[in-house]
Amino acid sequence: MKIGIRPIVEGKVTGSVLLSPHPISFLGDVDSETGKIIDSESPIYGKSLKDTIFVFPRGQGSTVGSYIIFGLKVNNVSPLALVVGEAETIVIAGAILADIPLVDLPDKDLFNMVKTGDTVTIDTSEKTLKIQKREK
Amino acid sequence: MIMFLTKDQEEMLSGMKGEAIAKSMELIVKIGDVYDAEQLIPIANAQVAGVSYLTVGESIFSYFELLSKDAVKVKVPTWLNPAGMDMKKWREMEISEDFAEKQLRIVKFYEGLGINPTLTCAPYLIGHTPSHGAHLAWSESSAVSIANSFYGARTNREGAPSSLASAITGLTANYGLHITENRNPRILVDVRAKLENFSDYSALGYWYGKKFHGSIPYFMNIQRLNINEAKMLAAALAASGSVALYHVKNLTPESKSIDTENVEEKIEFTELNKKEIYNHFNQISEGPDLVAIGCPHASYEDIKLISNTLQSRQMKEGIEFWIFTSSETKTVIEADSLLTNLESRGIKVYADTCMVVSPSVGENFQNIITNSTKAAHYLSKAKTTMVNLLPLNSIVKEVTEQ
Repeated sequence: MKIGIRPIVEGKVTGSVLLSPHPISFLGDVDSETGKIIDSESPIYGKSLKDTIFVFPRGQGSTVGSYIIFGLKVNNVSPLALVVGEAETIVIAGAILADIPLVDLPDKDLFNMVKTGDTVTIDTSEKTLKIQKREK
Repeated sequence: MIMFLTKDQEEMLSGMKGEAIAKSMELIVKIGDVYDAEQLIPIANAQVAGVSYLTVGESIFSYFELLSKDAVKVKVPTWLNPAGMDMKKWREMEISEDFAEKQLRIVKFYEGLGINPTLTCAPYLIGHTPSHGAHLAWSESSAVSIANSFYGARTNREGAPSSLASAITGLTANYGLHITENRNPRILVDVRAKLENFSDYSALGYWYGKKFHGSIPYFMNIQRLNINEAKMLAAALAASGSVALYHVKNLTPESKSIDTENVEEKIEFTELNKKEIYNHFNQISEGPDLVAIGCPHASYEDIKLISNTLQSRQMKEGIEFWIFTSSETKTVIEADSLLTNLESRGIKVYADTCMVVSPSVGENFQNIITNSTKAAHYLSKAKTTMVNLLPLNSIVKEVTEQ
């Protein structure tokens, strides 16, 4: 299954999806040292972003959140790529600073098509996200 | 769409002028591409957030390392947002040595870039007023709104890294509020409730922002709007609704030239709506332990008003009264007898920081009274903190005695 996307920060990566159905405020929701979700109300509370394809609707909250994304990279706990419904400045700035591939505007209903654990490939030169393997 | 860049801008982006400039350009250009900007434009000045160690944490030092690879300096006058502590009186605020050491390092780094360490969310109160029509890259959300609304300057709500990138390059992408057509209002608000004090302006802003997230309002029937009232309204609109520009009929510079044809809705702000906001922030069941004033930072007139309202009254036992302002304003109130007068009644005036970005407030106090909805909004996010929103004269009545 192929889904069209808009590339913002380039790259080609394959990895396992971590999906948050809620917007993410990197300042407050994510620990930049461990890479774990620390928002106790999140359904993925305690899960680590490290080496995942992190899929979430959009960023929100303090703009200092960009520095948290950069911190994930510095601490070697960053996701392989960020896939958002619609990118805004916090996530864009963070992905650029950290040099993490970032794509947005999926042309299908991605949030109902993938779930945590699925394997996907993002290729910004092809402008696609491919679902490779589904988690049972 | 990919935007047009001049030869000089291409060189900055390609890394020919160093990695710090390339990273800064990449940030501005990519954000511009996402928002369909056609070109970059020069900015007159910048205001940079991302200062308090409480919010930026350890990650900021790694980014500073990247920026220090080239001896980069800001290209335009740039001012700094508040830090996590009073840079002189941090021990009195019970800030730890470790926090203070990191906070001092952060401010020193920004100073090394050529940034003026004003450490205030309200640079316009200390002489840094933007010119009408000037393009800026400001990031403190209340200051963004004041620059756009009260002074008719043009800035998007920049992030901490993008405002810094703009300061370093002297450029921003031409989109959003830099473009005239995007500055027209969407919602007409007939203000039926009386705005009798700063908190009432703050309540109006908070109520509107919650209802119409991100939409530009046009307020009618507001009788007066001085800078102190304007900043309370601005901060509240930004805190509850990310609103970066508002118009007030006859009172703000663009209110006559804007186009109200595309207004989608007309609503009223009534006494009942105003009361809803005061009721929302009426959480303290036991006695208060802190009064926190100065969100946004208190002006000279604000502090004078507190002193006048107090008259000869003294603080009640067990309640602290903290006022937050800039170090420049503090120097002014120190020069006349205002500071001594306040301190003799047990009131503390702290510079360079505020109740929202200093760990000292949330860690040491549970029941806080304030006159600002923005302060109330952020303080009440901590589950252990209760807040009351009250106008200044009611606060003074409640926490002082003859």
